[in-house]
Amino acid sequence: MRRVLIPVLVPTLALVLALAALTGLAFATNPGSTVTKARLERALPAVFAHVYVQEQRLAGRTGLTVADLDPVAMCDRGGPSVADTGPGSDWVCLMSWQDPEVPMPTEGYGKFELTVRSNDCFTASSPSKLVGYATMTDASGKTVTNPAYEFDGCFDPDTSNTPTGHTFPSLLSLTSTTAQVDASGHPQVQLGCGTGSDGCAGTLTATVATADGSTGRSLGSVPFDLAEEQVKTVTLPGRLRAGDSQVVVTLSTTTGVGSSSPATLAVQGATG
Amino acid sequence: MSAAVRFELRKLAAQWRVRALLLAALLGPIPVALVMSAQANPPKDTLFGRFALDNGFALALMLLGFLGQWVLPLLTSVVAGDSFASEDQHGTWKTVLTRSTSRNRLFWAKVLVNLGLTTLVLVVLAASTIASALLVEGAPALTGLTGQLIAPGHALWLVAAAWLSVLPPLLGFTCLALLMSVWTRSSAAAIAVPVVLALAMQMLGSVGTLEPVRPFLLTTAFESWHGLLTDPRFTGPLLEGFVVSAAWAAVCLAGASFILHRRDITGG
Repeated sequence: MRRVLIPVLVPTLALVLALAALTGLAFATNPGSTVTKARLERALPAVFAHVYVQEQRLAGRTGLTVADLDPVAMCDRGGPSVADTGPGSDWVCLMSWQDPEVPMPTEGYGKFELTVRSNDCFTASSPSKLVGYATMTDASGKTVTNPAYEFDGCFDPDTSNTPTGHTFPSLLSLTSTTAQVDASGHPQVQLGCGTGSDGCAGTLTATVATADGSTGRSLGSVPFDLAEEQVKTVTLPGRLRAGDSQVVVTLSTTTGVGSSSPATLAVQGATG
Repeated sequence: MSAAVRFELRKLAAQWRVRALLLAALLGPIPVALVMSAQANPPKDTLFGRFALDNGFALALMLLGFLGQWVLPLLTSVVAGDSFASEDQHGTWKTVLTRSTSRNRLFWAKVLVNLGLTTLVLVVLAASTIASALLVEGAPALTGLTGQLIAPGHALWLVAAAWLSVLPPLLGFTCLALLMSVWTRSSAAAIAVPVVLALAMQMLGSVGTLEPVRPFLLTTAFESWHGLLTDPRFTGPLLEGFVVSAAWAAVCLAGASFILHRRDITGG
């Protein structure tokens, strides 16, 4: 048994050790990941422009070119506390482009989710409201795969890593669908701040909704300041009384973007 | 030297496993292409898998990406791993060395013949895979890795070049199998160890936190063809892959040569 095992085990172990030593050496001279924010910000728009034009061609639009589209992207990995480097499935890129027939939403960009692999290739999924769904109807009425809905791309690890300087504001949104009443009768609502350059700040104002639509009793206003990719519960200074069934919430932003039109939320929990 | 090479070639040609290997490389891709084209959902988790059900070029590239993980190392080590160890198993070292040739000549003859066979297997496999993929699924324009459309005529060249670009790391694995064959004196170990190592390297290379080790792994070079399919094209990883493969091959061959020359064959 020993005669058979030793000649096999020794070389195998030696190779495993060599591989481990190689790993150690590689870490000692660690050049950093080739997957970086700047490289993705250059690679994603390049790929997207091609697949988007391809999608529009399928739909029968021939006038649009890759150069016309001029997409610009800002990428971020895993929120403010994670370094924007390295492979992972938590990359988010915000991208805007020029298509006269599909204007950008108020925040000015669409949100793309990326899975980036260590081999410098990525898979991106597009925002459906701007790009459409997995399948589409082509010019001849057939159902075909939408080439821009989800797409793969690779980038050169030796290309420039200088920052692109592209930034987009975070999108602020009301994430709660109801106004929760706390123990002392104050209404609480939840705010969410999306991926973006500086987070979200501003003031939240609330009133009690009235049946005739006139401005109701004020519940006061609260300033808020959220980091990107953060959710926060805001408590209003005013108290709700028995019979208050809805509150109207208005957001005004000084950092980030969000809808400034009032939102009506049903009151959830005991009042009075 | 040429006599030794001719002798090794004759030994190789007489082996059933060599014939089986070439036959597998020639016929294997046909059922694979047929099965793939019959799938309901495309294998999107592999590069080009998204288009692999209705584009022959994409299918050929997807299979290349998939085979690089362990099938290619297996194809080469099946024969190379047996090369030196079989002389041990049959007890023929004394015969071949005392009667016909020097140790050095025999070593290089075996190396040359195995590198040649690996090249032949890859060429047959590439030609067969590309041909069956195109026959089964047709040859429409290919969407490249920058989203650009590549005309079929150009795509054919790029796909062929991508397949040939895995030759250097594959020859690296041949040399690794030859080293194991000399060192372990066991065909089974010399065939299995390179395949296991290929899988281990593949895993090491795909773990995000182990990224610094990627450039030194043989398996990384199996993926360096990606740059051929982008616009503009990039070849940095290809050149890096050549250098790394050459280094692995040199170290393995030097080790194998050293061990073989130090061996006491008269006693064994």
